[in-house]
Amino acid sequence: MYTPEMLESIKIVEQTRPRRLKETFPRLTPEEKDRLLRSFHPDHMPDAQRPVRVGPNKGDKMPHEHVGLLESRSMLDPDAFSLDRVDYDVDVLVIGGGGAGTSAALMAQEAGASVLLATKLRHGDANTMMAQGGIQAADKENDSPAIHYLDVMGGGGFSNIPELVAALVLDAPLCIQWLESLGCMFSKFPDGTMNTIHGGGTSRKRMHFAHDYTGAEIMRTLRDEARNRGIPVLEFSPAVELLTDEHGQCAGAVLFNLETQQYLVVRARTVIIATGGCGRLHIGGFPTTNHYGATADGLVMAYRAGAKLIFLEATQFHPTGVAFPEQILGQLVTEKVRGLGAQLVNAEGEQFVYPLETRDAVSSAIIRECRERGKGITTPSGRQGVWLDSPMIDIIHGKGTIERELPAMVRQYRRFNIDMTQQPILVYPTLHYQNGGILINERAETGVPNLYVAGEASGGVHGRNRLMGNSLLDIIVFGRRAGTNAAARAKTVQLGRLTLDHVRRFHEELAREGLLGQRTAPILLPDYRGRIV
Amino acid sequence: MAEEKEMVSIYIMGKQYRVPYGVTIMKAMEYAGYRFIRGCGCRGGFCGACGTVYRKPGDFRLKVGLACQTVVEDGMHLTQIPFYPANKATYNLEELTPTLATLLRHYPEMTRCLGCNSCTRICPQELQVMDYMAAAQRGDIAKAAHMSFDCLMCGLCASRCPAEIVQYNVALLARRLYGRHVAPRAEHLARRVEEIKAGKFDAEIERLMKMDRLELQKLYDARDIEP
Amino acid sequence: MKLPYFPGCTLYTRARGLDHSTRAALAALGIELEELPNWTCCGTAFPLAQDSYIGMVAAARILDSAAQHNGRLVTVCSFCYHVLKRVNHSIKNNAEARRKLNDYLEQGYGGETVPVHPLEILKHDVGFEALRARARGRLKGLKVACYYGCLLVRPAAEMAFDDPENPTIMEEFAAALGVEPVHFPYKTACCGSYQVLNAYDVVASRGREILAAAAAHGAQVLITSCPLCQFNLDWLQGRGEGTVLPALPVLYFTQLLGTALELPAEGLGFESHYVDPRPLLLG
Repeated sequence: MYTPEMLESIKIVEQTRPRRLKETFPRLTPEEKDRLLRSFHPDHMPDAQRPVRVGPNKGDKMPHEHVGLLESRSMLDPDAFSLDRVDYDVDVLVIGGGGAGTSAALMAQEAGASVLLATKLRHGDANTMMAQGGIQAADKENDSPAIHYLDVMGGGGFSNIPELVAALVLDAPLCIQWLESLGCMFSKFPDGTMNTIHGGGTSRKRMHFAHDYTGAEIMRTLRDEARNRGIPVLEFSPAVELLTDEHGQCAGAVLFNLETQQYLVVRARTVIIATGGCGRLHIGGFPTTNHYGATADGLVMAYRAGAKLIFLEATQFHPTGVAFPEQILGQLVTEKVRGLGAQLVNAEGEQFVYPLETRDAVSSAIIRECRERGKGITTPSGRQGVWLDSPMIDIIHGKGTIERELPAMVRQYRRFNIDMTQQPILVYPTLHYQNGGILINERAETGVPNLYVAGEASGGVHGRNRLMGNSLLDIIVFGRRAGTNAAARAKTVQLGRLTLDHVRRFHEELAREGLLGQRTAPILLPDYRGRIV
Repeated sequence: MAEEKEMVSIYIMGKQYRVPYGVTIMKAMEYAGYRFIRGCGCRGGFCGACGTVYRKPGDFRLKVGLACQTVVEDGMHLTQIPFYPANKATYNLEELTPTLATLLRHYPEMTRCLGCNSCTRICPQELQVMDYMAAAQRGDIAKAAHMSFDCLMCGLCASRCPAEIVQYNVALLARRLYGRHVAPRAEHLARRVEEIKAGKFDAEIERLMKMDRLELQKLYDARDIEP
Repeated sequence: MKLPYFPGCTLYTRARGLDHSTRAALAALGIELEELPNWTCCGTAFPLAQDSYIGMVAAARILDSAAQHNGRLVTVCSFCYHVLKRVNHSIKNNAEARRKLNDYLEQGYGGETVPVHPLEILKHDVGFEALRARARGRLKGLKVACYYGCLLVRPAAEMAFDDPENPTIMEEFAAALGVEPVHFPYKTACCGSYQVLNAYDVVASRGREILAAAAAHGAQVLITSCPLCQFNLDWLQGRGEGTVLPALPVLYFTQLLGTALELPAEGLGFESHYVDPRPLLLG
C-alpha cells in the first residue's frame, strides 16, 4: 500500500531502529516547550482567531469557526415560535447521548428524578465511543490523587480551575469502581489488579484501559444499563435552543426531530448539556478524529442563554492522526502506541521529540519538523507526516503485543493493506478535542440557574490542554455530578412561564452589532455534500 | 479534485453515481450528494452505525462492510442498514449469576443456532461470531466475553442469522456478566476508594489548591516520574 | 498419545463429571485429549428428514475442523457421538449430502475424520488386558449394570459400534476393571430421552422399568456414556420416584474407570449426582 518513495523512507527508519531502541530523547525544558508552542502550535498561528462581538464573552479571542457560530442567529424565530404545547414535561432533560449524558441520566434517575435523554444521532454515537487509549485514576500504591492533581495542572499549563481538578482526581477511583461494578471489562491481571500504563504527561502509570476499545467498552456498558433501567431516549432529536422562564432560569429546550423535521417542546426543571465537542467545525482547516455530530451545539445554545465560555482559544490537536492512507485521514492513532514504546521519527530516521510530552508539545514538534525543518515525509496527495515506529512495540514487549493491545489499530490499517506490526505508520496532528467550553463549577453548574454541563462541552477542568485519559474520566466524573445535582435541584425548582426571551435579546444584540444575518446555529451536522472530507 | 479518469461508477440503492476512485463508501455517498442523518456515526470504525451491504459485478454473493472503512469499487451496488430491530433483553445485572441459565433465560433463542456460520462470514470486525456464540451456548461466559470483545454492535450478524439470534446482544450480556461477576475485583481500587471516602487526601489536595502558579510549577518540574 | 477431543456443550454444563472423568482417566492411561480450539454444538439430534441438511452443518464443520489434526476425533457423549458419526457417514456415502454440506464449509470435506468413542479407545488402543493390569481390583465384586441406551448402537449400519441387540463392549470393559457385569434385558432400551421435557410420565415409567430390571439382576450401580440417560435415571430417583431400594447410583463409565484407577474422587464429578455413589464406591 505504501508508495516506493515511502518504502525507501521506511528502510532508513529500520536502519536507525536498533540504535534508537537504546536511546531516550531528552524531554523539553519548560522554556523550550514554551517557545515551541508559541512558534508552532496551531492556536498561535497568526489570523487563526478573532474576538467574538456579542454575548457573555464579548471581546474574547476564539477560533473563527467558533466565533462564526456564536454570532449566528437561532433556527427559531422567538416571536413566532409557539411554546403553548409542551410535548414532554420532566424533572431532568439531558441533551446528548454520549458518556457524559448517559452517566448523568443514570445518576439523575437513581436520585429519583424523571429523566429524558435527547440525542442528535443514535444513543452512544459520540466521541466516547471512539476514545481508545484509556481513563486515568490514581488507585495504585505509588500514586495518589494529589500526584494526579499535579499532573493535570502541569498538563493544562496551570490554567485549570483548581476546584474542578480536585473533583476530577478525587472522584476518579470512585468512577472506575462504578464502571467495574457495571461490568466494564477493564484489562486486568489474573488477581484483579488493574493493568495501567503511562500516557503523555503522566508521572505515574495510571491509565486504565480495555484493549484499545476503552471508550467503546464504557459507552456500550453505560448504554446497556440505561436501556435496562428504562430511561427514555429520543434519538435523532437534537436540541436546537434552550428555554428560559421570565426569571432567566433555564426551563427546558426545543428539540428538532431530524427525520420528521418537527420541533418538540420539552419543559424541564433542570437541563444538562452533554453535547460534546467541536471537531466537525474543522478548526484551522484540520481533519478531525471526532464523530459526525461534534458541532459545538451546546456551546451555542448555552451562550445565548447567558452562560460564559472559557478556554475556547485552546484547541487540542492530537499529535498522531492518520496522515496516510488518505481514506482514513485524520483518524486517531491512539497515544497508547507511544505509551507502549513507539517513537516518532523524521525522514532521516531520527527522533525529534520525547514521545510522551504533552499533546500540544508533540503536535507542535511534528509541525515544526515538517514545516520548518523540511524533514517530513510527503504522501502521494502532497500531505506531510512523520513516522510512528510501531514495530518497536513488539521488539520491546515481545511478539504479539501489538495485536493484543491494539487490535482496533491493527485492524484499521490492515483494511488498507498496511501491517503496523511490521511497518511504521505515517502521522500528522489532527483536530481532537475542545480543551475549553462552557464554564462550570465543581457541581457542574453554569452561571445560568438550572443549567448544568458535563463532559467535553464544559470548560475549566483541563485548562488549556487536556491530558490523555482525562476526558473519559471527565465525562464520568462530571456526568455523574451533573446528574445527581440536577436531580436534587429539580426537587425544589419553581419554573415560571416558558419563553425564548433570551433568544430575542440575543438577536437584538446581534442586530445592534450589525451581525444579524441569515446564518443559523447550531449547525447540527456538517455538510460534506459534493466534497471529499 | 480527481480527474474524470480516476472516477468509478457506484449504484446507491440502484441509482448510478460517478465518484472518485479510492474513497470510502461514506465519503463517496457524500460526494454524490447525500447528507447523512442515519448510517453515519463516528466515521472511524468504532460505532457500528454505517453497516452496508454491497455486491460487486459478476458475483452473486452479498458482502458487507462499514461504509466508513470500505473503499468503493467500480460497479458496486450498495445500500446501508443503519438500523436493525433487534431483540434486547432487560435485566438487573447485579442480581444475575454468570451462568448458562442466565443467558438462556434472557435469550432462549440462542439454542436455535444451526452452525451455518453466516454471522462469522458477515462480521466486518472479522470476529469468530459463531464460535463465541457456541461458547455462550455452553455457558463459557469468559470465552464468549473475550472472543466478542471487539464487537461494534453494528447488527449485521443478526441481519443474516437464520435462527434470528441477536448475537451482539447476547455477547454484551456475556461481557457484562464477565466484568461484574467473573473477573476478580481490583482490591487496590477498593482500598483507594475507602481512603478517599475517609478523607485521607483532602488536606494535601487543599494545600495544592491554595498554591500559586509558581509554587505548583516548581513542584511539577521536580516531580519524579515512574519509569 | 494425543488425540483431538470434542467435549460437547452438555459436558461444559450439567455433565461436567463426564468430561472431567474422561479427561482424567484417559490421561492416566497415557492418552491426552486436546480440545478443539473452537467448536459449536453438534446439533444434538440427527435430522430425521432425509433432505434436511441444515441440521447437519454444525456437525460437518466440527468434523472438518478436526480433519486438520489427526484422522480421529474423540467424543464421549452418546448424543454427540451419534450425531457426528451419522453425519460423517452421510458425507462419505451420500454425494448429495456431501455437495450440499460443502456449500456451507470453509474448506472441502469428504468424511476423512473418524469419530471415536473412548470405549473404542480403551478396547483397541489401550487394550482390555492392559487395563486389567492397571485396575488393581479396588472395585472387585461390585455388580455393575452396563446400560447403552439407544444412541450408541443404533442404527447399526451407520453407528457400526457393536451388536445393536446385544452389545458387549461395556461389559468387556467392566470385566477388565475387575467388577462383575450383570446382564439385564433393558440394556439397549430407551430411557425416554428428551421426553423428560414434555412427557415426564414416559420417562418415569421407562426409568422405573430399567432400574428395576438392573436391580433384579443384582446390580449395585448402573453405568452409561449418555448425559441424558444419566440425568433421567438419576433424577427420577432423586425425586423419590424410583422403585428400587436402595437407590441405584447411575454413573458414567469413565467415573467407574477413574475410581478403578484410584484417581482422586474430587476430580471425577460425583458432587452433582442425585444418588450419591461415593459411599458405595469409596467405602
